[in-house]
Amino acid sequence: MKYFVTILLSMAVCTVQAQKAFITRNAKITFVAPKDDDVKATNNEVTSRLTDNGQLMFSLLIKSFRFEYAEMQEHFNNKYLESNKFPRADFKGLVLNIKDVNFTKNGKYKATVKGSLTMHGVTKELNTIGTIEVTNGKPTAVASFIIVLKDFNIDAASVTDKASITVTAQYQ
Amino acid sequence: MKKVWKIVVAVAIVSVIAGGSFAWYVFNKPHRDVSREKGLELTAQKIYDEFKANEEAANKKYLDKAIQLTGEVATVSTNQDGNVVADFKTNDSLFVINCTFKTNPGAIKPGDRITFKGICTGYIPDANVVINEGVLVK
Repeated sequence: MKYFVTILLSMAVCTVQAQKAFITRNAKITFVAPKDDDVKATNNEVTSRLTDNGQLMFSLLIKSFRFEYAEMQEHFNNKYLESNKFPRADFKGLVLNIKDVNFTKNGKYKATVKGSLTMHGVTKELNTIGTIEVTNGKPTAVASFIIVLKDFNIDAASVTDKASITVTAQYQ
Repeated sequence: MKKVWKIVVAVAIVSVIAGGSFAWYVFNKPHRDVSREKGLELTAQKIYDEFKANEEAANKKYLDKAIQLTGEVATVSTNQDGNVVADFKTNDSLFVINCTFKTNPGAIKPGDRITFKGICTGYIPDANVVINEGVLVK
């Protein structure tokens, strides 16, 4: 029995070691109000981690979103996202079809992502389909989706009720 | 009756001017320029230690503040919009202070000891503290 446990443990250790993680501290997320192009912002300081067994996480700071218009940026932080109270947003999920992605072969692969997004103190399930493009062993993940602001208790109805989001992560 | 019309017209003119100036203000208010602010002087290690020890307290102290950070550069890269990013070393090899320049700092390389001034946007556990919109002090 002891022997068996030892084998099992060493197998577990091997599995952990075999998992390869790709990270970036400067992934890019942009959003735009679908009905008003002036309401848009970019965050270039998103931390993300993708492992070759399909775990995917993003973590970003609300205050890192930069708007073209400073006044909008202030409203976004103080009135709508309350970034002093909720400074961070996090996504944790899985690439369900990670077996279809060959990290050692150049190519563009479709990725089905399922996970949960926590923002403004609310956690919601988020599913989307994106792509993972592998170039010389380095993956780039891209996805676009729309979120409904009231799902996250954000009341910006006077500006927009939805945000169209694009994520681009070039992993190292 | 004439008097009433005069008031109506006056109110209309005032509203148009007020609305117009508000719109003008919204679209023209300048962004913060950190190079004209005095920054809180810190080392990369110190800001990391404070966030790691107590994120809430460090948020209160540093979020939105101009920070003048001194430390050793671990890596230099460029973000997707072409801005230079320098990661400052801490004593935790997996944790850095992620600093993005708004103006090109010129030639900086890993191992350099530099001072950077920017605005702190917060802490991402197990990864980094983020400071952006920055300039090279020396």
